[in-house]
Amino acid sequence: MVATAATSAFIPVPSPSAPDPGFKPKKLANLGGMKSKLTSSGGLQVKANAQAPPKINGSSVSLTTPVETVKHEVEMSSSSSSSPPPRTFINTLPDWSMLLAAITTIFLAAEKQWMMLDWKPRRPDMDMLIDPFGLGRIVQDGFVFRQNFSIRSYEIGADRTASIETMMNHLQETALNHVKTAGLLGDGFGSTPEMCKKNLIWVVARMQVVVDRYPTWGDVVQVDTSVGPSGKNGMRRNWLVRDYKTGEILTRASSVWVMMNKKTRKLSKIPEEVRGEIEPYFLDSDPVVEEDSRKLQKLDDNTADYVRTGLAPRWSDLDVNQHVNNVKYIGWILESAPLKILESHELAAMTLEYRRECGRDSVLQSLTAVSSNGVGNLASLADIECQHLLRLEDGAEIVRGRTVWRPKYAENFGTFGQLPAESA
Amino acid sequence: MGRGPILTRGHRRNAVVLGSGSGSSYKGPILAVVSDRVIGSGSGSASGTLADRLRLGSLTEDGLSYKERFIVRCYEVGINKTATVETIANLLQEVGCNHAQSVGFSTDGFATTPTMRKLHLIWVTARMHIEIYKYPAWSDVIEIETWCQGEGRIGTRRDWILKDHATGQVIGRATSKWVMMNEDTRRLQKVSDDVRDEYLVYCPREPRLAIPEENSSSLRRIPKLEDPADHSKLGLVPRRADLDMNQHVNNVTYIGWVLESLPQEIIDSHELQTITLDYRRECQHDDIVDSLTSVEPVEDAEAVSKIQGTNGSIAATENNEDLRQFLHLLRVSGDGLEINRGRTEWRKKHAR
Repeated sequence: MVATAATSAFIPVPSPSAPDPGFKPKKLANLGGMKSKLTSSGGLQVKANAQAPPKINGSSVSLTTPVETVKHEVEMSSSSSSSPPPRTFINTLPDWSMLLAAITTIFLAAEKQWMMLDWKPRRPDMDMLIDPFGLGRIVQDGFVFRQNFSIRSYEIGADRTASIETMMNHLQETALNHVKTAGLLGDGFGSTPEMCKKNLIWVVARMQVVVDRYPTWGDVVQVDTSVGPSGKNGMRRNWLVRDYKTGEILTRASSVWVMMNKKTRKLSKIPEEVRGEIEPYFLDSDPVVEEDSRKLQKLDDNTADYVRTGLAPRWSDLDVNQHVNNVKYIGWILESAPLKILESHELAAMTLEYRRECGRDSVLQSLTAVSSNGVGNLASLADIECQHLLRLEDGAEIVRGRTVWRPKYAENFGTFGQLPAESA
Repeated sequence: MGRGPILTRGHRRNAVVLGSGSGSSYKGPILAVVSDRVIGSGSGSASGTLADRLRLGSLTEDGLSYKERFIVRCYEVGINKTATVETIANLLQEVGCNHAQSVGFSTDGFATTPTMRKLHLIWVTARMHIEIYKYPAWSDVIEIETWCQGEGRIGTRRDWILKDHATGQVIGRATSKWVMMNEDTRRLQKVSDDVRDEYLVYCPREPRLAIPEENSSSLRRIPKLEDPADHSKLGLVPRRADLDMNQHVNNVTYIGWVLESLPQEIIDSHELQTITLDYRRECQHDDIVDSLTSVEPVEDAEAVSKIQGTNGSIAATENNEDLRQFLHLLRVSGDGLEINRGRTEWRKKHAR
């Protein structure tokens, strides 16, 4: 078949080198080796070679975009490796745009296969021996901390999937456990011993989260986290959340931290002694999330579409320093998101800028503006984007945010316009 | 020794059940039967799904109770650097759900038997009573054992025992009472025999109480506190995260609301030892709630001595400041309809 011959030219040749999971140091990305062969029915099969991943000459593929674009196409085909290609591909030749689409599909499917490849066959009993309580452990030559979480019943939201707060809580937990396991936990939460001596603390400046799929009750997720530099005086922490069983990436997140003197509340450079403590743990890796560098606007009463006032911290919102835990802000931000969006869409991505902290006696207001809702009204099947502001009653800003929402059950929509077989 | 709280040490085996023999009526004091056999996860059972094997909990060998281990996560820890009572309550709910699921009851969070589902019946909490003797800290592992049994004609009860996994020490006990309600009409219903038979298979034959003491505050009536209350916090609103899968405020949120109207001095100086809540009315997502608190005088010496584990000596009442007791009321803001009544007991914090 012409199609096969053409695509085989693009199929990379496996070469013997060790696969690398998750956080990739900056070098050429590796693709899982693949052979394509015809099945007897004439369909193309993509079978991943479990031996070794090859390199694509001259091209580096980062984790970001392929995952997002793969999602809709490959999910449609099926989750197994033998997926029938689009019907039009076989029947019409030559159609170069379809050919290109097919090549892209195969390429991306292979990438997806590869990403599941580093998923060695799991032996749950082994994991239980190594880490019986899911306290987490350091992997990947000491640079990555990995911890499993099973989703508990009270972490489920109204639509029976884990809430975004749950996901963020897990990220926070692994970050702390990473620092603790690496022996870098000084007094308090997250400060290294040298930082404690100098009254320095880490403060989160920016957070980006992309959720590809939310887990449900009883699922087990595996969270990998690592740290790296951010500019000269900041630190970046990355997370990758996977489904423990399948290896599918569920969530990707990245946060930027700056150092602050906890007495003067002024930002500080990273002192040499602290640098000596933390730099050995830095992994300078490819970004896990495409940087959303668009400026976040400040909303006000005129530009906001929805406002929710009178939000007050409860005892359970406070951390040991009687400050409101970062993750609670997300819940408050979503308080003013319109119910229509929450019912028809799910949170796909979020960017947050943290400006100020608040404590027990603060009373907050949450503002939301819907900045783009595709074509048509809120109920349409397009992504929706919102801007957010969380502020005190006197106007002092706590958090600015941007969220992107995709229609629920989006992955059930095929490229051929099929309707979902059933809604959950 | 008196009838203080049951504390088990590491290696007691085969605890004896005292009291009436095989019979259905509960005549005398029965010690809680606590099995110290450690049930490892995936203990030898080749069957079971991956989730079951990964889950840190399983039915006990006799199948009549369920045990699960939990690590306390950093975001579950509060201002005292220990797990909050809401965290404990969440874990009790979680282990209850997992127990129900492991015996094949529904996984929609309601633990309904097949007959109940056919008849659109669900369990609702009538009373919840939690005692915590020692709060766990971040990354402590606690082991919770839970079981259920019938309670008269109209309800069922679920009990829990919480232990520190590392030491085996009992750090808390809890008991709850549930009644059956038609989810469409929202009316209470008697537990029919066929429903009872369905779940009683999984319950201990002999009555087994986590808190068997006869004078336990888990049995005490909670009076309605009198107007005006000593302290209040008005205008509490359910957040999205407080709503369960059916848009009702979940049980644990009420605990947070009850604590909201406690004065700061108590929160700073004391630790919650016991909380008892009577659930009267459901709260919807658009209700506004007032939380009221009043001091309940610890009048009768017997109550004090129970709290302190002594045997009724008058001298015990001297140490009243170490123990504080409050009555609570949660009501709908506009019309004053009662949502919950509660009682809390607090002990003085010790320097850690």
